[in-house]
Order: sequence, then structure tokens, then C-alpha cells
Amino acid sequence: MVEAQNWNAVIEGQEFILTEEMDSQRLVVWAAASGDFYQIHYDDDFAKGNNLPDIIVHGALKGMLVGRLLDEICGTEGRIKNWGVSYRGMDPARHDLTIHATVTKKYEEDGEKLLDLEVGVKQDDGSTETTPGTATVALPA
Amino acid sequence: MSEELELTQDMKDAIDREGDPVLYEVTTLGIRTFARAVGYTNEIYYDEDVAKAGGHPTLPSPPGYLGMPIWDPNKAPSRQPTFNSPFTRNLNGGTQVQPIEQVYAGDILSAVSRITNLTMSPSRSFGKMLIRESETVYTRQSDGKVVAKTQGQGISY
Repeated sequence: MVEAQNWNAVIEGQEFILTEEMDSQRLVVWAAASGDFYQIHYDDDFAKGNNLPDIIVHGALKGMLVGRLLDEICGTEGRIKNWGVSYRGMDPARHDLTIHATVTKKYEEDGEKLLDLEVGVKQDDGSTETTPGTATVALPA
Repeated sequence: MSEELELTQDMKDAIDREGDPVLYEVTTLGIRTFARAVGYTNEIYYDEDVAKAGGHPTLPSPPGYLGMPIWDPNKAPSRQPTFNSPFTRNLNGGTQVQPIEQVYAGDILSAVSRITNLTMSPSRSFGKMLIRESETVYTRQSDGKVVAKTQGQGISY
């Protein structure tokens, strides 16, 4: 879990990271939570029959993991203004994923203390970015 | 080549047409299941007493969780903007979320979607592809407030 941040203490370039295990059970829990029951996410034979190397992590789950990282950065006093990600690549299950956010701009606007961030999800080789995106959050001073 | 990449009139007509409202139910079970799947450990998403001690009336919804459509196998699916597509395969291209108001367990949200843009593009992998951009606005039924907007990109090939 990432600690809640205070705007005054954050610096541009600062990075926040979560590492999450993506086993098959987790994908089944996500299927129940989201209503996405497409078999490529939990049925080994179905996934391989569709030329996939393994069952794959739901794109929407990766987007919501980014949302969780931002929620933890905001804590109870901050607020997510918006976030978005693109699904550029598939992530096979049974590998850890790294969810990351880097502060690209720290500024004030309309009385709010804001951060813009680059966000994304990388595979456990540490280099393959499959889910790049951006976000804006408001933090307490 | 350019003629092949033009949208059909059917596709053009689908842009900006709103679908029927779809009701989404936000429940304590749904919030806890979502929070578990995403890995939240903050007790406000699991324990109502902790949520109330934090100033919430009940379990708050984690960012991006807008409930589940109310499923009834005996009702016809709601009418959504659609068009005849020459493509059979679809990919989820991306998602943007704009939380506006805090959502809570017990809320019923009315979601209205529309296609905001369609683009036919050449693709190195697929020959050509159709990029569909859409927006959904979620309105809480009890007070009429817009609680969130989401945008999505879909790729058909």
C-alpha cells in the first residue's frame, strides 16, 4: 500500500509503485466484480484455443489497479479528478504486474493543489509497458 | 484506398445517438467484491462502522466502481446505439474515468451511453480497423446528480 501524500511534500518526478500478483483466482474474483465473464480470462483451454499463451489479465482490472494506486496517493483528504489508460498489450496471468505513477506536473488551479501524473502497468520483466495513461489528482496542502 | 476507409451512412447515423438508460445497482457485496479484486486494504470499503467513523453514511464505492447492471434474463436487452459492422472481432482500446460525486452502497445509477466518434483506419496488423469512441454518463436516481463520466475506445477488426 502506498502512503497518502501531502501536496507540499511531493516533487515532480516522484514515482509511486504497487506490485500485484495476478493469479487465476484473482481474475475470477474480478470477473465476479465486473461481470466480464469472457473465457480468455479464466479458461486455459479456451485461451490457448484463441492463440493466446495463457489466460490474460482483464484490461479493465489493470485500469482499476491504476485507480487504486491513485486512491492511495490521495488518501482520505485528496481526490482523483480523472484518469485514463490505453490497453496497448496483453498481460498473461500468473506473472506479477507493476502499477506505477510518476508526477509530471505540480501546480495550483482554481484554488486546488493538483498533480498531473503519467501512469501505467508494466509486466514483471520491468520493461514492457502495456497500459500507459495519464491522471490528475487534487491533494491536501 | 481512401474510399475503403470511409464510414457507411449507417455508421455516421449512429454517432451521437443516445442509448436507452441502463440501471446499475451499487451494493455492499458489489463494493466489497470489487475492492477485493483490485486489492484495496482500506477498511472503509469493507466495514460499515469504519466507513461511518470516516464521515460516510455507509460503504463508499472505490474510484471507478459504478455498480453492476441489473440482470434479468426475462427482459430484453436495452436498446443501444449500433450499426452494421463488417468486423467480427473486438478489442478494448482504453478507458477514461472522471469521478464527480462519491457513490455509495444503495445507490441506483442510470447510465446513458452514446458513440462520440467512429474512425476507419488502416492497420498494419488487421488491414483496416474501426475505432469507436464512446461516453457514458452515470446519474444517481435518488438525487439526479451526475456522479461519474467514463469514456471508452473500442477497436473492431
